[in-house]
Amino acid sequence: MMAIRELKVCLLGDTGVGKSSIVCRFVQDHFDHNISPTIGASFMTKTVPCGNELHKFLIWDTAGQERFHSLAPMYYRGSAAAVIVYDITKQDSFHTLKKWVKELKEHGPENIVMAIAGNKCDLSDIREVPLKDAKEYAESIGAVVVETSAKNAINIEELFQGISRQIPPLDPHENGKNGTIHVTQSHLQGGRRCC
Amino acid sequence: MDAGSGAEPHRARGRLGAPCSGARAPGAPWARFSAWLECVCVVTFDLELGQALELVYPSDFRLTDKEKSSICYLSFPDSHSGCLGDTQFSFRIRQCGGQRRPWHTDDRHCDSGAPASLQREHAHYFGYVYFRQVKDSSARRGYFQKSLVLVSRLPFVRLFQALLSLVAPEYFDKLTPCLEAVCNEIDQWPAPVPGQTLNLPVMGVVLQVHIPSRVDKPESGPPAQRSHENLLPAPVVLSSVHELDLFRCFQPVLAHVQMLWELVLLGEPLVVLAPSPAVSSEMVLALTSCLQPLKFCCDYRPYFTVHDSEFKEFTTRTQAPPNVVLGVTNPFFIKTLQHWPHILRVGEPRMSGDLPKQVKLKKPSRLKTLDTKPGLYTAYTAHLHRDKALLRRLLKGLQKKRPSDVQTALLRRHLLELTQSFIFPLEHYMASLMPLQKSITPWKTPPQIRPFRQDDFLRSLEHAGPQLTCVLKGDWLGLYRRFFKSPHFDGWYRQRRKEMAQKLEALHLEAICEANIEVWMKGKSEVEVVDLVLKLRERLVRAQGHQLPVKEATLKQARLYIETVISSLPKDLQVILCPP
Repeated sequence: MMAIRELKVCLLGDTGVGKSSIVCRFVQDHFDHNISPTIGASFMTKTVPCGNELHKFLIWDTAGQERFHSLAPMYYRGSAAAVIVYDITKQDSFHTLKKWVKELKEHGPENIVMAIAGNKCDLSDIREVPLKDAKEYAESIGAVVVETSAKNAINIEELFQGISRQIPPLDPHENGKNGTIHVTQSHLQGGRRCC
Repeated sequence: MDAGSGAEPHRARGRLGAPCSGARAPGAPWARFSAWLECVCVVTFDLELGQALELVYPSDFRLTDKEKSSICYLSFPDSHSGCLGDTQFSFRIRQCGGQRRPWHTDDRHCDSGAPASLQREHAHYFGYVYFRQVKDSSARRGYFQKSLVLVSRLPFVRLFQALLSLVAPEYFDKLTPCLEAVCNEIDQWPAPVPGQTLNLPVMGVVLQVHIPSRVDKPESGPPAQRSHENLLPAPVVLSSVHELDLFRCFQPVLAHVQMLWELVLLGEPLVVLAPSPAVSSEMVLALTSCLQPLKFCCDYRPYFTVHDSEFKEFTTRTQAPPNVVLGVTNPFFIKTLQHWPHILRVGEPRMSGDLPKQVKLKKPSRLKTLDTKPGLYTAYTAHLHRDKALLRRLLKGLQKKRPSDVQTALLRRHLLELTQSFIFPLEHYMASLMPLQKSITPWKTPPQIRPFRQDDFLRSLEHAGPQLTCVLKGDWLGLYRRFFKSPHFDGWYRQRRKEMAQKLEALHLEAICEANIEVWMKGKSEVEVVDLVLKLRERLVRAQGHQLPVKEATLKQARLYIETVISSLPKDLQVILCPP
């Protein structure tokens, strides 16, 4: 039997760039034009084969709205990978992406795999962010980069395959140390007595 | 999407074609959320008003003024106990009128599979509290005082306290958007269906819990963890949604555990005087959980204050004390409840693993002063002899620093076996009151369940008493006699009788369906035939409504009979019985 690894992945990026649509396309192969803004975060999973392992992505799709920004650490804490999304038709969203990268470098987990997704590539006639800029930036920070379209199902699988390839293969002596959830039982002992 | 994770198959089913973000299915706002929680409240300390409700989420959830006031008072420690830092505790309040959301069919489905002691409360709310009091120079009185409260009908204390310990610190740090996010995440949780192991994603963590079901063996915990490969890295697994660390709770009164079990079994009025709401609520919940698998049928308040709307009702001296287990912290209660027959005084919890001092039983009259020593103040004498072997084992475990969960398992099993030994003869006798199968005949009214005669039962103990399953000696007969007067006997008896009546009805319906109806109809008058149709119909409605234990084939057969019978009648009658 193949080993299953659970990998916590979070999606970050400006509001309206298509984070939820990317997850929805990846997990359910479905696209909805009238998707409403995410509140807090939503959670989904999907398992894909990678070499002789199975990668079960535990995907935390976070809210892009500024008022939820302070919650982001809960979702990237312990993540094996972060998908940072921008909208190729909005220069501002590329700028926000750089701020996310900075925050991850400063406060995110060490060795977190970063993947940049330039979404809405079906709208390249109104493009504001040249692919070249994204590629150069990604290279400078050692991130995977790909232009995607959740609407037309372009490069969505490839995006997650790219992440899978960056995940170091499992060292049998280091079970459980590669990533995901680090909250320990002691965090959760109910009924602490403090008085 | 792969199966196997609790969250996703449910989600896919519930939201076919719906957007995959946090958006909810139209028409059922907060439906998933309300399968777990009624609402989330924030209670703060206002210099002018005292405790005040700062926030209720979802904002359209309606609480009555009485409920609001109760929640406010019960979410803070009593003024006399100065809790500094973070503390967690629970309370339980009576629901006071007001408009209620319709009872969801899902909820009913969930409840029918749940053990009796873990079903949703219909007339009460549980409040699960996380209280923080810290110095804060920016506040006017120099303190930050706030509580985050989860209000639910589910008695899942471990789960909700674990949830609070994740959510509350983040909430106090980040305020409103955090609560909004958490409530939306809970609104994506699968329903708490008994018997299922669920993944509950919240705030970047996945909690894994097993929802207990009627068919779980009481002593077995959640199913053993799946093979390790599947759980890499493991989500946060909670070993139980409701079970407390019984040993830690009872450690200060270990010598009296069995007597406390008797008091709880008899539904005696019992007050727990504790130094803090955390200790009082844990002790009360530990006591009420002692009776499992028997349902605890009396009222109980893990934490109770002088402001409570039932204060007068519970403390009046014009009537005998009510059959309630109360947890209090305010020393004022020592005086108010002096006339109560059983008072359990618990001291500060000691973190060290030292041996509990031999706590002696004390005469109630000794309980007068404020600095009363810990102990059980009662004039009650136990019916059963103390299980010295159990105590020796537990004390030995304590000396050897055996982990608390092993000690808890030991204690829980002892109490479970004790309850089962006590209940088994009752079940056995009750079963003997069921009419014989052969006396159930199709064309006569079903025979009656024979009445419960206490003397007959007590006589049956000679050959089928608890001595068969329990080594403890003592006055079992006396214990049963007193038990007959307790609300728990009444609750147990009503439930059993109801189940037996349903079984009888089901057997009778089966007998009818197995009989040859055409033979019966020969020579019967129209009146009798019409009467049969009406009776069968009534049975069918009841079978469906009460969920009688009837096979689908039987129901099908009954419907077929109705058709056969009707078609044998003259046309005009047919029209009346089956209007087009």
